[in-house]
Amino acid sequence: MTAPFKAPFKNRARAALADPVLKIAIDRTTGNAERKRAAALAAFPEFETARARGRAIKDHVIAHLGHYLELFERNATARGAQVHWAADDAEARAIVTRICLAADAKLVTRAKSMLGEEIGLPHALADAGIERVETDLAEHIIQLAGEAPSHIIWPAMHRTREQVAELFKAGHQPPPAAEDPATMVQSARRVLREKFLSADIGISGANFLVADTGATCTVTNEGNAELTTTPPRIHIVTAGIEKLVPSTAHAFALLRLLVRSATGGEMTQYTTFHAGPRRPGDADGPEEMHIVLVDNGRSRMLADEFREMLRCIRCGACMNHCVVYRQIGGHAYGGTYPGPMGAVLTPVLDGLAASRDLPNACTMNGRCAEVCPVGIPLPTLLRAWRRRSWREGLEPGSLRAGIGIWAQVARRPRLYRLATRIGLPLMRLFGKGGWIARLPLAGGWTDHRDLPRPAARSFMDQYRAQQKARK
Amino acid sequence: MTARDRILSAIRATLGPGKPPAQIAAEAAALLDDPDAARPRLAAPGLPDAFAQKAAALGTSIDRIGSMAEVPRAMARYLDAHGLPPRFAMQPAPELAALDWSGLAPHPGTAPDEPAALGLALHGIAESGSLVIHSGPDNPILMAFLPLHHVVLLREATLLPHLEDYAARLSAEAAPRNAILITGPSGTTDIEGSYVRGAHGPGFLHVILIAEPG
Ligand code: SF4
Repeated sequence: MTAPFKAPFKNRARAALADPVLKIAIDRTTGNAERKRAAALAAFPEFETARARGRAIKDHVIAHLGHYLELFERNATARGAQVHWAADDAEARAIVTRICLAADAKLVTRAKSMLGEEIGLPHALADAGIERVETDLAEHIIQLAGEAPSHIIWPAMHRTREQVAELFKAGHQPPPAAEDPATMVQSARRVLREKFLSADIGISGANFLVADTGATCTVTNEGNAELTTTPPRIHIVTAGIEKLVPSTAHAFALLRLLVRSATGGEMTQYTTFHAGPRRPGDADGPEEMHIVLVDNGRSRMLADEFREMLRCIRCGACMNHCVVYRQIGGHAYGGTYPGPMGAVLTPVLDGLAASRDLPNACTMNGRCAEVCPVGIPLPTLLRAWRRRSWREGLEPGSLRAGIGIWAQVARRPRLYRLATRIGLPLMRLFGKGGWIARLPLAGGWTDHRDLPRPAARSFMDQYRAQQKARK
Repeated sequence: MTARDRILSAIRATLGPGKPPAQIAAEAAALLDDPDAARPRLAAPGLPDAFAQKAAALGTSIDRIGSMAEVPRAMARYLDAHGLPPRFAMQPAPELAALDWSGLAPHPGTAPDEPAALGLALHGIAESGSLVIHSGPDNPILMAFLPLHHVVLLREATLLPHLEDYAARLSAEAAPRNAILITGPSGTTDIEGSYVRGAHGPGFLHVILIAEPG
C-alpha cells in the first residue's frame, strides 16, 4: 500500500514531539514491554542459544524459499485449502476482494494482521462496499478512531485509557458503564460478539506457514482469531511469503522467541494451526479456506542487501527499545511498519524517494539490533539505505555538503582525530540532557534528530590513554 | 506468466536451482538437534506438578482429582463456587456422556453468551502449561471460545514435557482442521498495556487434572 506521506517526516515528527498526551501513552506501553521482556529473558537462560537457532531457522527457509513455498502449497492444497499468489499489494487486494464479492459477502470480520495493513485491505474492502469489523481490541479502538496502527503489537498504544473511553462512549451502544480498562474491554466483548457470529467471511493473517502440514498458524491473547475464522462460511488468510517454517517444531522454536520479545510472556494464550476448511463430520468451521501468498517486494529483498530483513518475525521489540520511536510514536513514520524495522521496510514498500528520511532519523545507538530475537543488524541495513539514498542523489544539498566535508575529514585519520577532539567539547556544549540537539557541521542532520551525547573523550583518546596506563 | 510463476522464478533467479529435497529436510531437522539447549526447563520434576505450576502462574485454576468418575462432583464444585447455574455446555464426547450427571444439566451446543462449558483436552504441555484441543465431529471449536468459564478435563497420562513432543504427534496425517494450544484465560493488554482478562474468549480457565490413566 502506498502510505500517505502527507507532510514531510520532520513535520510529522515535530507534531508528535509537541503532543504531551502521546508521550504519556507511548511511555506507558513501551516501558511496560521493556520491563516484561527483560524479566522473561532473565527467566530463560537458554535465550541466546534459542536466538541463534531462530536466526538459523529463518536463514535456512530463506535459502530454500522456493522449495518451501511449493511444499506448503502442495500440503495446504491437499488439506482442501485454495492457495493464491500475489506479486504485489494490488494483486493481493484484488484476490481478496474477488473472493468476497463472489461470496456476496456483506460483513467481514478481521483478526489483526500487519500484512493486511501492508496491502491496504481495509480500504479495498471499503471500496468494494463490504462492512469490515476489526476484532482485535486495539484494532477495534483505531477503527473507531479512523486511524492506522501505530505499533505492530499494540496498534492503539498511542491512545490513553481516557481517550479510549471517549471513543467507546461514542461508538458503543449502550456506552460502557465506567472508564477502567476492565469495563471497557467487557463493552467491546459485548459489541463484537454479535459481529463474530453473523460475519460472512473471516480474514486473518498468519504468524507461520507450516510447510510440512500445510497449516497456517495464528497467535493471539484475546481469542479473537478463532472467533473470526470459525463461524463464517469462508476463511481467508493473507500472509507474506517469508512466513514459512519447515515444520510445527520449527514454529514452536520461533514462537518461544516471538512471545518473550513481544510481550514478555512465554506463550500466547491461543496458538492455532488452521489446516484447510471443515472436514466431513466436523462440528464447526468454514466451508472454504483461501490462502493468499503475498510477495510485495520480498523476492526483491532476497536479491539485494536487505535479505536479512526477511528474518523478521514482527515482535516489535526493536521499536519498544528505540529512542526515536519512544519520542515520536508510530504514526510519524508514515508507513505501515514503524520503528527500526519499519525504517528498513518502508523504503522497500513505498520507495526510497518518499521515505528516505526514515533511515536518516536513526541515532545508530544499536539497541534495536541488541534486542532483535533473530539477530537482524538493523543499523547496518539502515546505513545501507542511507548510502543508496546518497548514491541516488536523494539527499538535500545542505546535508550532502555537511556530510561531504565530514567524509573528507574522516578519510584522513589524523585530521579526523584532530577534528573529533575539537568537535567533542563543542558537541557537549550543545548537548542538553544527554542528547545533542544540534551538531555543528552536520546541521541539516541534527535539526530533527537527537544524537547521543558523546563521552567526554573520543573512543580513540580513551583507548590510547588506557594503553599508555598499562605500559 | 501467472503471479505464481513470476514469484517463483524471481526467487529461483536469486537462489539458483536448489538442493535435493531430502538434503533440505535433513538440514532442517539438524537445526533442532539438542532441543534442551534452546528451551526452558520444566518448572518441577514431575509432569503433573510442572504443568500445574505453569498453568497456575497464568491464572488458570486447577483441581486435581483421582478418577474420571469424580468429574461430575468436581464440576458441581466449580459451578457452585462461582455462583453458576447447573446448566452448562458439554463437549459431545462419548466418555463425558457416559458419566453420571444427576443433579447437573449438561447440554450440547454453545449459546453466544454461554456461562460455562466443559471439554476434554487431548494433551497438556508441561513446559508452558498449555492445553491442546483438536477440532472434529465431537469437538466444536466455538465451545472453547464463547463461554465465560471454560472447564477442561486433562488426564495426567496425556501430559507431554515440551512443545516439540506435541509437534512430533501432529504429523501431517494426524493434523486436524484446527489444532489449538490454550495457555491461560483470554486476556488483552491493548489499553495502556494493562492486563485485563476475558477479552473475547473465556475470562476463566479451570483445569480438572485427573490422575487415573485411560
Ligand atoms: S526487526 Fe527484529 S526486533 Fe524488530 S520486529 Fe522484526 S524480529 Fe522483532
